[in-house]
Amino acid sequence: MRDDVLVLGANGFLGLHVVDALRAEGVEPRCGRRRRSNVLGLLSRRANRVLADLDEPESLRGAMSGVNTVIHLAGHYPRHSLDPVGTLSLGVQQTRTVLDAAREAGVRRIVYVSSTATVSPSEVGASTEADRFDTPPNFGLYHRLKWAMEGVFAEAGDIEVRVALPAGCIGPGDLRVGTSAMLVALARGDDPPHPDGTVSLVDPRDAAVGIARQALRADAPSRLILSGRSVGLHPLLVEAAALLDVAPPSPPLSAETMLARARAAESAAAGKRSALSQEIVELAVYGVPVDGSLATRALGVRYRSFADSLTDFVRWATPLGFLTPQTEPTP
Amino acid sequence: MTKSPSHQRIFRILSDLSAIPAGDIKVEDRLREDLGLDSVSSMELVSMLSEEFAIDVELEEAVKITTVAALLQLADQRAAPQEGAHA
Repeated sequence: MRDDVLVLGANGFLGLHVVDALRAEGVEPRCGRRRRSNVLGLLSRRANRVLADLDEPESLRGAMSGVNTVIHLAGHYPRHSLDPVGTLSLGVQQTRTVLDAAREAGVRRIVYVSSTATVSPSEVGASTEADRFDTPPNFGLYHRLKWAMEGVFAEAGDIEVRVALPAGCIGPGDLRVGTSAMLVALARGDDPPHPDGTVSLVDPRDAAVGIARQALRADAPSRLILSGRSVGLHPLLVEAAALLDVAPPSPPLSAETMLARARAAESAAAGKRSALSQEIVELAVYGVPVDGSLATRALGVRYRSFADSLTDFVRWATPLGFLTPQTEPTP
Repeated sequence: MTKSPSHQRIFRILSDLSAIPAGDIKVEDRLREDLGLDSVSSMELVSMLSEEFAIDVELEEAVKITTVAALLQLADQRAAPQEGAHA
């Protein structure tokens, strides 16, 4: 079995699914992890764990020794948007560290897992891989961070760089309840405040298949959107409420109101991740419809339905106590 | 009461994560309310113990560990057969 693929961030929400997808493609990956991180998912998979900490360049060089392909899912993910300068600086610095280590180790290909946040609006329907911001987006720290980290790979030189652009992941394994936060609130019987806007969604298992194939296949696209669906956030929550058999959400609030609430929530969280974040609000407010069909045409990625993803998420989250009994079938 | 080496190690890890001196951490402390660990840190803690003591912990089990006592009990239960084998 091929073992020259390193996954950075393998113990994360999407990372664990990428490990599964690589194994399905006949690869036993090296699974990079930070010194202090939750690796229960890797332990249960009996995965090959290696220390690969973006703040410890020597560990990265060691982890990359003999590696042909690096899948990088460990890009800086800020807990809040209150420190733009520090966030951008850290994200870019860590990305350069990964690139430098890859260069020294003789890595031949990097798949950098970015986000649909770097896809720019299109004047003709849904945006595709060709739509990208030429200059940093003038909104959203998360958007600017992702754009800046992608930009570092322009300096990759001889290393082939491919960029994966997954949409917001909804499905089993979201331990930190990131993109699932509003759905979890809905399932608990809360009425999550939300803005109007467009969100793009993908099941992490489907995104992982795309990322694994983008990493392994010689003729895979160099830029690849992984999105099963783009939809208005409010209609999505109404649809989810019906699937969960809970009360529908109240109408959306204005972007200004939601951003102010998110900023206040982040300030009150004192450096920890708050239940409502500016990043989530901005992803909806500035969201554009995206076209994920290239992944299907080029790599055979099939997107499951939102209903299936939500059902599997509920099935996974319920025994962990993330949801209240309201999501259980009524006796 | 003297702590076993494994318990001492757990208290050191708890101290490291919570920034509370090991001597101030009590068996009856709750990870979140008393030691200030959030759910992510709590999971990291269980993961660290799982690796350090070579014990398998299912996710469902990990999320239910909310006190220092439960952590110690987990380490004791899982370590017992191993320690017996070396006796």
